[in-house]
Amino acid sequence: MAYIEWKGVDKAFGGKPVLRKMSLAVNRGEVMFIIGTSGVGKSVTIKHLVGLLRIDAGEIWFDDRRIDQLSERELAPVRRRIGMVFQSSTLFDSMTLAENVALPLRKHKQLGHKASLAEARERLAQVYMQDYAERYPAELSDGMRKRAAIARTLALSPEVVLFDEPTTGLDPVSARRIDRLIRELADNLGVTAIVVSHDPPSIFGVADRIAFLYRGVVHVVATPAQLRASEDPIVQQFINGRSTGPMETPGF
Amino acid sequence: MKAWISSVGASAIAYASAAGDLWRVYVGTIAGIVRSFSREHRRNRPRGELARQLHNVGNRSLVFIVVTLGFIGMVMTYQGCLQLGRVTGDYSQVGQQFLRLLVSDFGPTLTALMLATRVGAGIAAEIGSMKVTEQIDALRMSGVLPIDYLIVPRFLACLVMTLLLTVVGGTVMYVAGGLTAHYSFGVNLNTFYDISQVRPRHLVMMVVKAVSYGAAIPVVAGFCGLRARGSSEGVGWATTAAVIGSSFAVIVLDFIISAGALFLTGGDL
Repeated sequence: MAYIEWKGVDKAFGGKPVLRKMSLAVNRGEVMFIIGTSGVGKSVTIKHLVGLLRIDAGEIWFDDRRIDQLSERELAPVRRRIGMVFQSSTLFDSMTLAENVALPLRKHKQLGHKASLAEARERLAQVYMQDYAERYPAELSDGMRKRAAIARTLALSPEVVLFDEPTTGLDPVSARRIDRLIRELADNLGVTAIVVSHDPPSIFGVADRIAFLYRGVVHVVATPAQLRASEDPIVQQFINGRSTGPMETPGF
Repeated sequence: MKAWISSVGASAIAYASAAGDLWRVYVGTIAGIVRSFSREHRRNRPRGELARQLHNVGNRSLVFIVVTLGFIGMVMTYQGCLQLGRVTGDYSQVGQQFLRLLVSDFGPTLTALMLATRVGAGIAAEIGSMKVTEQIDALRMSGVLPIDYLIVPRFLACLVMTLLLTVVGGTVMYVAGGLTAHYSFGVNLNTFYDISQVRPRHLVMMVVKAVSYGAAIPVVAGFCGLRARGSSEGVGWATTAAVIGSSFAVIVLDFIISAGALFLTGGDL
């Protein structure tokens, strides 16, 4: 059985279906990219994995355990093992960067105030943000906030990290650094990464496999080379960014 | 006809669902307060958050409350004296009756209505912004219950500060009313500031109302913030709903508590 698996997942918002019997399996230690047009349900898919959204039907399995029916309290150990880097940095405005990173350490690792702040500073140093530990998110650039958010997610040493458009809004250098970080997490620490992205250099430079979402289902799962070589006109239209083609309406 | 019934039914279900969610936020807040006494939660409690909320709710509302209640006190006394002058011309009871009314009703209710606009809107906007920018999701991912972290400190701050601001606002209202009566209608200040008619039951009612309003405003506003959807427009709607909802809660609670007090005292208030 796969390490992480979505089985026949349905999800609708206000009667509008987003996922329709969507299935996807991710192996331990791989970097899986989920791509597709805006609104097709990529972020929705990964949010289901940590219970931030609830599926309407289907099953979600993580490490041989069904997790889609767990309560908020039962999800706590799952969220300790699966970290998420959100699309916007989602740092808490009223806290310094060190306090932001320390919060999950206090809650999940039960560290005391001083110990959590000390470890938070170490984690910030890993993303070269140690000099900004006492600054507030509003005082920093988008890229810096994103790096701090990554430090917060990695602070718990998760087995799986979900990245929701990690390079969106970043300059090319910062974006490639994030790519390298994702690759290093998988290669050096065995972390499983699931990345939602629109960024071709990231997609084809980092992914082990790519899942292409279209019309609420996984249209194709392939390696970057297989996807490039695919003769599927929908895949070709998407990866080449053509405005016309069989995929007339984005998403649906 | 079928479509109309369907529409009414859908609205009824939506309102019932919202009422259920509001109740869950309230119960969750009470449970959060109980949890906050545990050793683990004491250690994890955000440092200085309660003090920050006491400052936000209390200190930052002080000028607003003092100014608005001062003016309301002047207007009410002026109108009261004006009407009384047309009917009897006897102003000797104005101060005493004004104080009774102020302590048992207008003081806490008007203070809470003002707080519902300032504090309720602020809570909903802050929590709503956190909701639409996924900060609430990030809190959940950090192992934090959003109600414990966001609503409990605001709830405790509102409980304390609504009572304190009621006392301050009511005092200002009383003083302003007395000066208005004195300078506009020549009412003797000693006559106006006669507190002999205020009984302990009036003070009890003031405390009960202030605490009840203080409990209602952050829960309603927090609930509206947590239901914010979309982007800035969703935050705007949440803020509007919070002001309407918390003001409505204050009015309804005023009615329920006043009716209850009338029943308990046999009409002798």
